[in-house]
Amino acid sequence: MQGLTNVERVLKAIKLQEPDTVPTLEIDIDQRVIEAIRPGLSYEDFCEHMDLDAVCYHEMRTDHYEVIDKAKGIVRDQWGAIKQYSAVSLCVPVTKEPAIKARKDLDTYVSPDPDPHSRYREIEAVVKRFKGQRAVIATVRPFGTIRDSLRGQDELFKDMIRDPDMVDRLNTIASNYYVRYVRNLIDVGVDIVLETADWAFTHGPMVSPKHTERFITPGLKQIVDYCHERGVPCLKHTDGNIWLIFDAIVETGVDGVHPIDPLAGMDIGEAKARYGHKVCLMGNVDCGNLLSWGTKEEVREAVRECIDKAGKGGGYICMSSNTIHGAVNPENYVEMVRAIRDYGKYPLSLKP
Amino acid sequence: MSYFAELANSVVQGDASRATELARRALDEEIPAKEILDKGLLPAMDRVGSSFEGGEIFLPELLMAGDAMKAAIGLLRPELSKKGASYIGKYVIGTVQGDLHDIGKNIVGLMLEGNGWEVVDLGIDVSPEKFCDVIEKGDFDILGLSALLTFTMSEMAETVSTLKGSGLRDRIKLMVGGAPVTQAFADRIGADAYAKDAVEAVAKARSLLKR
Repeated sequence: MQGLTNVERVLKAIKLQEPDTVPTLEIDIDQRVIEAIRPGLSYEDFCEHMDLDAVCYHEMRTDHYEVIDKAKGIVRDQWGAIKQYSAVSLCVPVTKEPAIKARKDLDTYVSPDPDPHSRYREIEAVVKRFKGQRAVIATVRPFGTIRDSLRGQDELFKDMIRDPDMVDRLNTIASNYYVRYVRNLIDVGVDIVLETADWAFTHGPMVSPKHTERFITPGLKQIVDYCHERGVPCLKHTDGNIWLIFDAIVETGVDGVHPIDPLAGMDIGEAKARYGHKVCLMGNVDCGNLLSWGTKEEVREAVRECIDKAGKGGGYICMSSNTIHGAVNPENYVEMVRAIRDYGKYPLSLKP
Repeated sequence: MSYFAELANSVVQGDASRATELARRALDEEIPAKEILDKGLLPAMDRVGSSFEGGEIFLPELLMAGDAMKAAIGLLRPELSKKGASYIGKYVIGTVQGDLHDIGKNIVGLMLEGNGWEVVDLGIDVSPEKFCDVIEKGDFDILGLSALLTFTMSEMAETVSTLKGSGLRDRIKLMVGGAPVTQAFADRIGADAYAKDAVEAVAKARSLLKR
C-alpha cells in the first residue's frame, strides 16, 4: 500500500486495519527534547519535522486561567480550583484547593462556559495547518476535571463510599460541559478525541472495577457515543495497570487505548491477544527507563518487540509509554522513530 | 467479638465514628493506649494493607480506613506520648523537587504510621538541600523519596548525589518509590531499597532497620 497521508495512516490503524506502515505520534514532547534535536521549533513544527502522523492539542490550551502568584506558579483554573505548577512539571499541576470543598458548594456552583469562540482560535489554526495531512487529536479529561479541579482526589474517592449522590452531581456538571466542549472541537475540525485522565496506578485501578463502572466510565461513554455520532474516533489514555478495568474501558466503545504501560506490568502481546480485535493499541515503548537511560540498540529492540507483538494485522500505533518528557534522551527518541519506520512497514518483516 | 476485633473491623470498614467511639470506650475502661494500638489498630492496618496489595480494596476504601485509623490514634496520642511509647523507628519522607504529587507518598506515610513508625512528612517539591538539612538536624532511620512523574526521577538521583556531597548518605537508609521508579533505577542511584507499593514499603522499612 503506497501513498497514505499521515492522517489516513492513523485512522486506518484506529479502524484495526493495516496501513502502509505502523503510525507513530506523541501526546506531548518536552520542549527540552525538541531543542536538543531541532532548536527553535514549536511542538507542531517538530511533529512536522519528524513526520509524526498526528499532532495533539491539549485541553489546557483552550482553558482560562487566572494567575494568583506567578513566582510560585499558582493559578485559579476555569473550574475554580487553585493549582500549582512546578518549574519542572509544567504540564502536570497539583491541586492546592478544589472548587467544591463541601456539598453545599454544589448549590451555587457555576460551571465555565465552553462556547466562546475565542477559546478555539488556536486549535482552529492547528486544524487549518494540518487538516488532511496529519491527524489532529484533541484531548479532554472529564474525570480528571472532577478529580483534580472540582473535588480533589482524596475527597472524591471518599465520596464514592460516603456520598455517591455527590459524585453523581459532579459527574453531571462535567458531562454538561464536556458534551458541548467536544461538540465545539469537532465543529472546529479535529480528527480524533483523546480522553487523558489516568484511572490506574502502577499496581492497579485507582478505584474498584465496580466504582469505575458506576462513577467513571459513563462520562467517557457519553463522549464516545457523541464522537461516533459525528463520525470521529475517540481514544482513551490511562497510565497504570488496567487489566481489571480493561473490559470496562473497551465497553465504552473507545476506538483505542494508550499507553499499555509497561512499567505497570502491561504486556502488549497479551493486550493484543485479548483486546486487539476490539481496540487499537497505542504505546508501550518504555519512556521511564529505556528512552531516558537505555542505549540506541535497546531502543531499537524494544520498538521491534512492540511491533512484533502488537503490529500484526494493523491496529497498533507505536509510541512512548506516556510522553516524550524532559528526561528522555533526545537521541533515543530519534532512534525510536527511525526504528518504527524501519521495522513498521507492512507486510511486517521486522527487518530494517 | 472482642473489643479489639471490633475496633479493628471499624477501621477496616472505614467507619471513623465507630472507631473513635470504641477507642474512647477502651480508654474509659483503662485499657492502656499501647495495648489498644497493638491489639486493635495495628492489626487493622495490616489487614487494610494486605487487602489493598491483594487488589481486594482500592483507594477509596484505603482512604476511609486511613481516616478511621487517624481518628482513633488521635484519641490515643496524648496517652501514648505521656507513657513515652516507643516507635519502631523514625522515617522522613518527601516528594522530590519538581514533583508536586503526594498521593503515593501519603499512602506510604499512612501505612508506616499505622505500623508503628514515627513519620515526618516534608511534603512535595522538596529540594535536595531541604532533605539534607532535615537529615542533618534530625535523628532519622530512613529517608523515603517519592516521584510520580517520569521526568522527576532524575531529581532522586540529584538528591542522592547531594546527600553524598554533604557526607550524610551513610547516616541514613534510603528508600525510593513511585509510579515510574523501578528496582533497576533504585540500584542505579544507590538506594538501599525500592518498594513497589505502600505495603512493600512497610515490609522493606522494617527489614532495613534490622540491618
